[in-house]
Amino acid sequence: MLQQLANGLFAGSIYALFAIGFTLVFGILRHLNLAHAAIFTTGGFLSVDLISRQGLPIWLAFPLVMLAGGLIGLLLERIAFRPLAGRPDEHFAGLISSVAFGGMLIALVQARYGTEQQSISSEAFPNEVYTVAGVSISLAQLTTLGLALVLMLGLAWVVAATPLGRAMRAVAENARAARVLGINVERVTASTYALSSALGAMAGMLMVLNVGQGDLGMGLAIELTGFAVIILGGMGSLWGAMAAGLILGLAEALTIHHIGSSWKDVVAFGLLFAILLVRPQGLFGTIKAREV
Amino acid sequence: MFAGYESLITTMALTGILAFSFHVVLMAGQLSLGQAGFASLGAYISTLVVPETPLFGGLSPVLVGIPVGMAVGATAAFVLGLPVMRLRGVFLAIATIAFAEVVRILMLNAEWTNGARGLRLERWVTPELAWFVLAILVYAFWRLGPSRIGRAFAAVREDEVAASSMGVDVARTRMTSFVASGAIAGLYGVLFAYFVRRIGPSDFGFSMMLDGLVVAVVGGFLVFFGPLLGSAFITMVPEVQRAAGLEAGWIHPFVTGALLLVVILLLPGGLSSIAGYLHGRLRRSPPPAPSTGPRAGNEPPELPELPAADTPVLTLNGVGKDYGGVHAVHDVDLELRAGEILGVIGPNGAGKTTLVNMISGHVAPTSGDGHVLGRKLGAAGGAHRVARAGVSRTFQHSKLFDRLSVLENTLVGTHLVSKPTFVRRLLWLPSARRDENRAVSQARRQVQRVGLADREHVPAAQLSYGDQRRLEIARALASHPSLLILDEPAAGMNRVEAAELSELIRSLAADGVTIMLIEHNVHMVLDTCTRVVVLNFGEVIASGPPQVVASDPQVIEAYLGSDETGREHV
Repeated sequence: MLQQLANGLFAGSIYALFAIGFTLVFGILRHLNLAHAAIFTTGGFLSVDLISRQGLPIWLAFPLVMLAGGLIGLLLERIAFRPLAGRPDEHFAGLISSVAFGGMLIALVQARYGTEQQSISSEAFPNEVYTVAGVSISLAQLTTLGLALVLMLGLAWVVAATPLGRAMRAVAENARAARVLGINVERVTASTYALSSALGAMAGMLMVLNVGQGDLGMGLAIELTGFAVIILGGMGSLWGAMAAGLILGLAEALTIHHIGSSWKDVVAFGLLFAILLVRPQGLFGTIKAREV
Repeated sequence: MFAGYESLITTMALTGILAFSFHVVLMAGQLSLGQAGFASLGAYISTLVVPETPLFGGLSPVLVGIPVGMAVGATAAFVLGLPVMRLRGVFLAIATIAFAEVVRILMLNAEWTNGARGLRLERWVTPELAWFVLAILVYAFWRLGPSRIGRAFAAVREDEVAASSMGVDVARTRMTSFVASGAIAGLYGVLFAYFVRRIGPSDFGFSMMLDGLVVAVVGGFLVFFGPLLGSAFITMVPEVQRAAGLEAGWIHPFVTGALLLVVILLLPGGLSSIAGYLHGRLRRSPPPAPSTGPRAGNEPPELPELPAADTPVLTLNGVGKDYGGVHAVHDVDLELRAGEILGVIGPNGAGKTTLVNMISGHVAPTSGDGHVLGRKLGAAGGAHRVARAGVSRTFQHSKLFDRLSVLENTLVGTHLVSKPTFVRRLLWLPSARRDENRAVSQARRQVQRVGLADREHVPAAQLSYGDQRRLEIARALASHPSLLILDEPAAGMNRVEAAELSELIRSLAADGVTIMLIEHNVHMVLDTCTRVVVLNFGEVIASGPPQVVASDPQVIEAYLGSDETGREHV
């Protein structure tokens, strides 16, 4: 039981890290970026490549994967979102263009690695397991939890306390007014995508470290969970995504323990559904007044 | 008949049918993505209920299954819609995705669906059948566009608030498109099942949803044949690639993605925007222009009588509105009688627009009570009920249906005085054409009245600011209102235009329309109105004939200032 909860916590920290990037873009730019899952998958495969094929030490692979994710994010914004700005169908078109970009990205991943699962070499990471109060915890899991928390808190700090974060919040409030006040909205938008995608790629790497392998479908599975997390936490709420990711990880673990693994997604989506109907702004979100 | 290509040809038709289930919600502005769930329920339930062998000597299971699947899909959409139709935009999208996922997982874990192993079926769907069904859908959507419900879809897509103030029941219209989407998705599910011969829960997953959305958007959801073009595009791309020898594993998805990106970036409105461009007027073919002189079908619809002069139209007793402690409007008493032109003036933030929003049913008062044309202020039912009672309004910030033409905007305004025509248009009944012509004639009259007759087919977004204000008035007039509320109609107009507007307002009043004019242009209000009310800080500070109000010292101090500043508003 306690073991299940611990496992849920580690899985939940990856959900949270994935979702926080997802929700960052939505919160600031109102874009639903469906390429986020593809970036997650790319991060996973890239980490296998760097560690197992190139033989890089893992501490070097972490920043490289994040950097690659950030660059892909810049590309994504430039290609799939910026050209649509100001169009009446921006909303629908952005969904489609991000699906298209994601599809191309996955195709490129497939070109390099094929459709087979890619396993990470077992010696890549010290296979230490600690036992605390009857619960066994691997070093990989601890690293995942630690890194995920550090990155999420780092993002929250960037948004709350840096000039970039202040500009982001201004753009979120009113992009036109922000532009009038001299904020470079294009640069803020690009930075938002870069940050979001760096975190998404990192979530993919942590996932691969935890399960030991990556496959082309890994993004699709977490994308749906990601929806549940951002709704649960409140669209655009960073703290909400963080908390909701952990809650969902724990809820899944409990479902697997009590009901059976085939039902774990029903719990996630049932929860999502209930939240949408009872509290559409999410557990931690706030209502924005609707203008008549 | 199509030797070697049966599969390709059938797939193309089925993809088109799936896309129509997205098309119908997108054209009403709803991002609903639960179609895979409706299709799954339709396919599973109909294939289990309908026997596998032909019934009644020769009626193939698919023909029996189609109505079953459509009924299942429509019912599922209705039941799901009851709670989720309150959601909008991305929230609706995610809720419906969640629904589809829950259906998939339930099907995977249920006994009767045979779980992940799926069901085996006979193939009953021929290319001819698939294309026949698609042809029916294309026909229905062609007939839908210029019908009353088709215009209501477009109006809800472009601006829900404006649609409701034209008397369109927004909730019901959204639900109608949602249920139609469920029925078409159920239809698709049945055809798909009897075509692929083996269905499993994962066939109806996230990727089916993405396919349908992509085809609908790439084809274009503003034009009835969009799904057809989208499906031809998506189905042919792999074929062309195969012919060109570009099918190595990753190249196919890469090229598909790249083409998708090109289409979406370069063609707002999808592939059908090319076809629409080539055919010029095809995409917004207006009914034929009326010939001169009265002829059957060219007279306006029968319009109800306006209230007799001097009967009370609006009474407010101590009405107020608080926004979290801020008194936007405080304790306002007001009576308006038929035939009056009431001017409401007051500085910015005086509560004029909040007052209008309460009267038109967009905002409920927090204190006091009032009646407008027999309806209690703040009564349940929403703004379209107030419109039905005979209130029509314009908005301070234009709320036009941007992608619709001047005439189409005004036609939405005729919603309350025209009849539903979609079913009769499907059957090609002459009475449908007659009713449509009447609505067009009513709309055209208003367009001419405000002086936009030469710009009938210009999209609203391309009009100048002053013309947009005029179009708002034409649209509001098209519903034949008893009470017309104009919220700053002269903003941005020059002196000549304002004088013309003043002339128009007086002529409307002469026709028996009661008018409430909210305006900053004080001289225009004093020239036009029979009575003036002055608001300041949410309270009435003066009321009476224009000359009396204009000389009221309190008003001069609060609003007019000196004579000089008063003139600045002109």
